[in-house]
Amino acid sequence: MRLSRLQKICLTLITMGVLIAIPWMTSDYFVMMSIRVMYFGMLTMSLCFLASELGLVSLMQAGFFGVAGYFVAILHTRYHLPFPLPPLVGVTVAVVFAGLTGLLVIRARGIYFLMLTLVLGQLVWALASQWASMTRGDTGIHGIYAPVLFGISTEESNIAFYFFTLVFFIGAACFLVILKRSPFGLMLRGVRDSDTRMAMLGYPVALLRYFAFVFAAFVAGLGGIFFTYFTGLINPHSVSLTNNVETLMAAILGGVNTLAGAVLGTGILKTLDVVLSGVTKRYLLIMGVMFLFVIMFAPEGIVGTMKKHLSLPLYRIAVRFGFIRKRASSTPAATERQFYQTESKRR
Amino acid sequence: MFKKKIAWLFAVSFIFNLGIINSATAVSEIRIGHIGPTTGWATIFGEGVLNGINLALEEYNYEFNGVPIKVFSEDTKADVEVMRTKLDSLKNRDKVHLIIGPSLGHEGMAAVDWGARNPEVPMLIGYSAPEDITMRNATFSVIRPGWTGAQVIFNFGQFCAKDLGYKKVIIVGQDYSYPWDQAAGFIRGFLENGGEKVERIWHPVEAVDFSSIMAKLMGMAKEYDAVLNNSGGAQVVAFFKQWKQFGLDKIYPQILGQANVPIVPMLTELGDSALGVYSSLHYYDGNPSEANQKFRESFNKKYGHYPDVISVQGYDAVHVAFKAMKAIDGQVDDPQKFITALRQVKMSADESPRGPFYFDKYANPVQNIYIKKVVKKDGRLMNEAVKTYQNVSQFGPYADMADKYMAAPATTRDYPPGDKASYFKEIEKYFGKDYVEKLEKNKGWVD
Repeated sequence: MRLSRLQKICLTLITMGVLIAIPWMTSDYFVMMSIRVMYFGMLTMSLCFLASELGLVSLMQAGFFGVAGYFVAILHTRYHLPFPLPPLVGVTVAVVFAGLTGLLVIRARGIYFLMLTLVLGQLVWALASQWASMTRGDTGIHGIYAPVLFGISTEESNIAFYFFTLVFFIGAACFLVILKRSPFGLMLRGVRDSDTRMAMLGYPVALLRYFAFVFAAFVAGLGGIFFTYFTGLINPHSVSLTNNVETLMAAILGGVNTLAGAVLGTGILKTLDVVLSGVTKRYLLIMGVMFLFVIMFAPEGIVGTMKKHLSLPLYRIAVRFGFIRKRASSTPAATERQFYQTESKRR
Repeated sequence: MFKKKIAWLFAVSFIFNLGIINSATAVSEIRIGHIGPTTGWATIFGEGVLNGINLALEEYNYEFNGVPIKVFSEDTKADVEVMRTKLDSLKNRDKVHLIIGPSLGHEGMAAVDWGARNPEVPMLIGYSAPEDITMRNATFSVIRPGWTGAQVIFNFGQFCAKDLGYKKVIIVGQDYSYPWDQAAGFIRGFLENGGEKVERIWHPVEAVDFSSIMAKLMGMAKEYDAVLNNSGGAQVVAFFKQWKQFGLDKIYPQILGQANVPIVPMLTELGDSALGVYSSLHYYDGNPSEANQKFRESFNKKYGHYPDVISVQGYDAVHVAFKAMKAIDGQVDDPQKFITALRQVKMSADESPRGPFYFDKYANPVQNIYIKKVVKKDGRLMNEAVKTYQNVSQFGPYADMADKYMAAPATTRDYPPGDKASYFKEIEKYFGKDYVEKLEKNKGWVD
């Protein structure tokens, strides 16, 4: 389904409009939930980026999330650094940490990658829970206050914090989308599909993976910053295996192969968590059954399945109502033919 | 003219009266939120408090002066990020007048942080025991009708050194903050009252195989007098079992337990191997007081098993809330008034299963601490009090130098030091030379 430039701009504007209007259209409660979805969404996006572009499932993304968060917490409460410094240092440290751990894990693939990241992720958790003089152990660090931006306290106003997060959330999403569409992204997909062929063609396979890993960690670290500022605290649970697995579940639920899926999955999981638990104590059971259905009937996740089954009907509706012009080559076979024709002409 | 003035006066006073009447009956429903882990590994802590709350509310028929009471219960999954979201839900969505909970240590610390940011919501902490909730991080709106980890174990250290006459003790426990705090409280009481050395052995939280530790304990038996088990849940069961298997029960006297090793649900799991275990807490199930007997029997009738100290926490929280509501005539929509009333509540021995208590200026109870021993009574294992220390505050023996106590470094896995010489060096640094001299003169604390 291809949209014209104008339509794309319109769609983007509408989406932006809705996102900006959310604080005024909805309740305080919804704004709070949106903020949660955004920071956890960044974490899930980083996992999805690695899973879709490299075909690698990482169990230490929450580690980067937490490392950034812990640095913000420690610099803020212990050394009282002024605002832009703690988050800057936090993200930098998360990236440097990814740079170091990347050296260890990047040559492993499949289950070995999973195991290595699991070990490193648990290492972060053990540090957070045992190095009590620095991280205050399981009690965690408290008393972190969100900064004042342009004279508005994001601590007191959820709306201000919402926009603070929104800017970076959209930034992070754009960053990953651009990466995906760039030659770098194409090379990554090449590595994913056949690394031996890419190596033979002369691409630095290990380096490509390494950079993808570091970029993903950057986005996860960014999420950690907002997590820490919004909750005002951090404790080892944020870097625990549970958090990693919940992220993975959100990713699978929404669809591992798309960034939209990552956000949608996070949104559904985090909202159901709060809404269902108010209704019944057995809400985890409901969520488990739902997850089972997704795995059985929509293994590509919600967004993946929607893409597969809804794109053709939507396309037809759009054509009928004149939103998009019908192209001569609407079937894949025809597209392919057309592609080869243009290619041969070019030669 | 004069008539007009009188008419105005009447009108004004009428409106004024309306206001007064309104404020007295403004609340058409009292909403109480409960927060705690009701799923996952920590379920017993959240459920226990909730059961206590419901039992107490049933006694009042879920109403206060004819105003119905509604309970909103939220699950934290033992995750503080989830908990913060749910606290916001309780405040914004359900508009609760009072929050009871949470139950775990790290949850309590996060809750008091939330409380400082939302001072208009009164909160009664459930089972959470970190001392900083009502010490270094204390905030006006957060009141804890519960306990701190160290509060209940200071005197146990004293008891072991003075009454049981032990000189050297080994502490085996799970490697995280709560057992660290328990060990710290014990060390203070033990070393300051004539104990010589405390050795700490930490094991991973989830460990259930203690064979290497048992072998170590066997080797240490020549030097050390007793072992204190400082774990919880499944780890305690495994520890007691292997203790017998390795024959350590013949080498050492009975096991010592941290505060909630021999609580009621554990006793049914441990069986006779728990007989003779010493521990200390602010509540003991064998308390013959009328309030406790009534509480136990009605709890058993409602839920089919006997209650533990966790449920006492929820039960007492509701009674404290009711006492405060009576004092302010049900005006729970005025949070400042409600909080002030809550902090002034004094419970008598007839009102609480644990005995009398009142709040100190940080809103933690000053209460009796019982040294208890597991005995068999009518075929049932039970904790009996062997010694009672009355009116113990959260600062224990340091009540008159609370500031110095709070200025000392936070507890870690190996702070405070466990041997007498370096421990005394530390307290001299933080509590002053006078204190050390006083200790030496009195040979420990004065009862």
